[in-house]
Amino acid sequence: MTYTLPDVNFLPLMPILFVLLGAIVSTVGGFNTSRRNVTWFNIAMLVLAGLSMTSLLGFGLWNRDLSAFNGGVRADNVALMIGGVIVLGSIMSLLVSLDTAWRARVSFPEFDAMLMYAITGCLLIAFSGDLIVMLIGLEIMSLAGYVLATLQDSRRSEESGLKYFLLGSAGSAILIYGIAFLYGATGSFNYAGIAGRVAEVLNPATVNAAADAATTVALAPNNMGILVAGALLILAGFSFKVALAPFHQWTPDVYSGAPTSISLFLSTVVKVAAFAGMLRVFSGALVDAPAWHSVLQWLIAATLIIGNMAAYFQTNFKRLMAYSAIAHTGFLAMCLLAQPSAGGPALVYYLLTYTLMSGVAFAIIAALQRNESGLSIGDMRGLFYRHPAYAVALAICLASLAGLPPFAGFFGKYLAFQAAFQNGYQWLTVLAAITSVISLVYYLRPAMLMFMPDRTPAREYAHGQRPPTNATVLLGVLGVILLGLIPSLWYNFAANPGIWRLLAGIGQ
Amino acid sequence: MMHLMIFLPLLAALLVMVVPNKWREEVAIGSTLLTLGLGLAIWLSGGTGAYVRDWVAPLGITYSVQLNGVSLIFAVITAFMTFIAALYAVKRIPNPGTMLGLILAMETGLLGIFASRDLVLFYVFFEWALIPALMMLAIYGGPSRMKALVKFAAFTLFGSLLMLLSIIGVKYYSGADTFALYGFDVRLADGTLRHLSGLTERVVPQPVQNWLFLGFLLAMAVKLPLWPLHAWLPDFHEQNHPSGVPDVMGTLYKVGGYGLFIFAMPLFPNAMHDFRPVLMGLAAFTALYAAWIAFSQQNWKRLLAYAGLSHMGFVALGIFSLNETAIIGAMYLLAFQNLYTGALFLSVGMLQERIGSVDTRVGGVMTQAGAMGGLTMALWFASIAVPGLAGFIGEFSVLLGAYQVQPWITAVAALTVIAAAAYALTAFQTTFWQARPLGAVATRDLHGLEWFVLGLPLALAIFFGVYTLPALNLIQPAVQNVLGLAARALGGNP
Repeated sequence: MTYTLPDVNFLPLMPILFVLLGAIVSTVGGFNTSRRNVTWFNIAMLVLAGLSMTSLLGFGLWNRDLSAFNGGVRADNVALMIGGVIVLGSIMSLLVSLDTAWRARVSFPEFDAMLMYAITGCLLIAFSGDLIVMLIGLEIMSLAGYVLATLQDSRRSEESGLKYFLLGSAGSAILIYGIAFLYGATGSFNYAGIAGRVAEVLNPATVNAAADAATTVALAPNNMGILVAGALLILAGFSFKVALAPFHQWTPDVYSGAPTSISLFLSTVVKVAAFAGMLRVFSGALVDAPAWHSVLQWLIAATLIIGNMAAYFQTNFKRLMAYSAIAHTGFLAMCLLAQPSAGGPALVYYLLTYTLMSGVAFAIIAALQRNESGLSIGDMRGLFYRHPAYAVALAICLASLAGLPPFAGFFGKYLAFQAAFQNGYQWLTVLAAITSVISLVYYLRPAMLMFMPDRTPAREYAHGQRPPTNATVLLGVLGVILLGLIPSLWYNFAANPGIWRLLAGIGQ
Repeated sequence: MMHLMIFLPLLAALLVMVVPNKWREEVAIGSTLLTLGLGLAIWLSGGTGAYVRDWVAPLGITYSVQLNGVSLIFAVITAFMTFIAALYAVKRIPNPGTMLGLILAMETGLLGIFASRDLVLFYVFFEWALIPALMMLAIYGGPSRMKALVKFAAFTLFGSLLMLLSIIGVKYYSGADTFALYGFDVRLADGTLRHLSGLTERVVPQPVQNWLFLGFLLAMAVKLPLWPLHAWLPDFHEQNHPSGVPDVMGTLYKVGGYGLFIFAMPLFPNAMHDFRPVLMGLAAFTALYAAWIAFSQQNWKRLLAYAGLSHMGFVALGIFSLNETAIIGAMYLLAFQNLYTGALFLSVGMLQERIGSVDTRVGGVMTQAGAMGGLTMALWFASIAVPGLAGFIGEFSVLLGAYQVQPWITAVAALTVIAAAAYALTAFQTTFWQARPLGAVATRDLHGLEWFVLGLPLALAIFFGVYTLPALNLIQPAVQNVLGLAARALGGNP
């Protein structure tokens, strides 16, 4: 009997390990030092994690396509790009929390610890090579997220955390059930393995004669139903996580009930991670599987309508941003309907721009709100005359969220539309365009109110501008403008078709 | 020089925000004058060649710009009217820094619209010009601006998003390599030349073409505007700042006719040909209907908005007729309509400054402000197409050309000329003549800069009404070129 040692290689895990180190140090070191020191340490760790994904440090992972644990963890370029977005969003959240955590009464090291654990989970999803690792990452992320949403000592936050927990665990359960089905249908947890088996089942002609003919034949007709059921269950599970209608009900309550820096984190980083999982599973493992496309397009249609319509009627800006997050889920998910070579880069580009613009909007809410329920839209009247820089930054980000050129959101939307359009979902793109108009109206209203002269006394928190928040806002706005004027800065990395061929399990 | 002309106003807009307050006006006026100078220099040098560079290479989006023919004349007139608007804004608006910045930012968008030869670039500039227009309305607008603003934004953006889908569709279904209108060669890394095809080289097959054209048309019909998509226009003008400066910029923003001409005609020739009778009917109806509504307006700004709408009906009639004479007329009308309608908005602003109202039933203004009344009347003559003024050339050519295609529809549209005289002269009479109301404030006549602000556009309107050659030399070849492209796509059967 021969034993083979598992393929243990920690190099591809480097970014995750940095973040995990931050989490452990916050857990342990929080007893000995102030929360501020812990946070700065964590930001440093995140920066290191980000750098380790590029080739700047010399030992970077970019373009090396490393994998470990028999393909369970893959540090391919897709993982690194999405990991980069996650790290960026996390840095923004931490910077904002430096200013506002104290006001939100969540300023203790456990907050940082939970946040760093959540980021670890997020990165693990992006780096996952099989369903089990993905699930572990998802659960780490979700459990930490439930705690984060509840951490503030308030009834609203407790309610939101409980809602998040109950619906999130239902989502996880459905997801796990789907994973079991998928394993039953294909006999593999590995994305590449599943993709290969699905391709075999659907096109028996492509089966290599040397392959084990018996298993192939046994799989073909009987397991198709299980495969479809598994794919749909996973789709439902992910729909909870990314807030696709009709699984979105928890989102507005959680995003508006949680402390604002947590809303920032949940609506950007956690969403990016969940989309990374969807990208891995649907554009990778299940890319050839039947049925899920047609279900997903209806979910997207419902999301676009419900998210945008509901946002239209909001009077609280924070809640509006929560619904806008749902609406953007619809646009983001359109990328999944396309071929991976077109949809993948579109999704990666959109995720980055969405993180930047949504992050800025939440950061400004966090800085200006009087309490954690956010700002009402009427309160924003005349903001330009009180906080000109914030007003301009917020206006740029709202225009970008609405998809107006020359800001980055335009190319995000454009790419998503193009991806779905070229794969035959013309009706969905028309619907997306029509619902976009609604979104333009609700983004424009606060944006324009800010510039209207106002003689009533200010309704914002008086001491709203602090260096870390300003840095976040500046970073986001510069990113939104730069990526809008020169999309190639980021898109050229993503547009290389080679990296997406790997994702789809071709050329394994 | 061309890029400088396009982006100089934007740079100046940023500069206006940072320089000390006392320098703002000089910077703004100087840069608009410089832009105008650049435009005239380009005109004298006979236009620029096409400039093409990759923008987002993997997607086939290019930065292709060119200023020649129709786009050059539009760009120059835009630069001219921006100069006039900035001049008046400095005089009229207290602390005009923000307004000047917005005017300049919008100028870049407008010049970009006229210069771009790539559909996505066009879309980007198209939307870019919208943002300053919205901001002007938000910052300087009237009491119910929010409603006007939402209406304006919703209409325009609804159209443009569907146009975006059409843009995606045109490249996808035609199989072109880029979004550029004309193809170009690129030198690859190994030194070989590769031809990247442009959109005009491949025609989109029917019936997809019809659908794509409808998406494109919707955006342009909102901007044009064409009935029934015009509802935003009167509110937009009514709620804008009383000085009329934002209205001038808004007038320049009516680029729908230009978009149809430069993009829709070469890209969707079959569809335009198929829809021709319906669209011409719609255009004629718009012209007449708007004139009818204008007749019953008692607010100068709304009246001017509807008058502009009526002119746009003529422009649309000319373009949709696909007849060379009519298209030349439409372009002529579209270009010079900016001059006199813009100047009229400014004269309404002056009226409002003096008597505090934009109502058309004031009466007796002429007794004290004779020069203002005279210039305004002359501008109105240009607007209602009195021969010898620029408006006449445009309207007459449109009618002449369109008559050869659809005589009956054209005959209906021609009634507009009578209606225009009716609404314009009635309103003018009730404001400037009639009895001066008892206890009316003393009305100051034109002085200083105001002479320039109204006089220069009028002088140009007279000049181009009498001597059309410089403009026609630019417009005619461009129209023939576009019609040639369309005819080739139709198989020599326009």
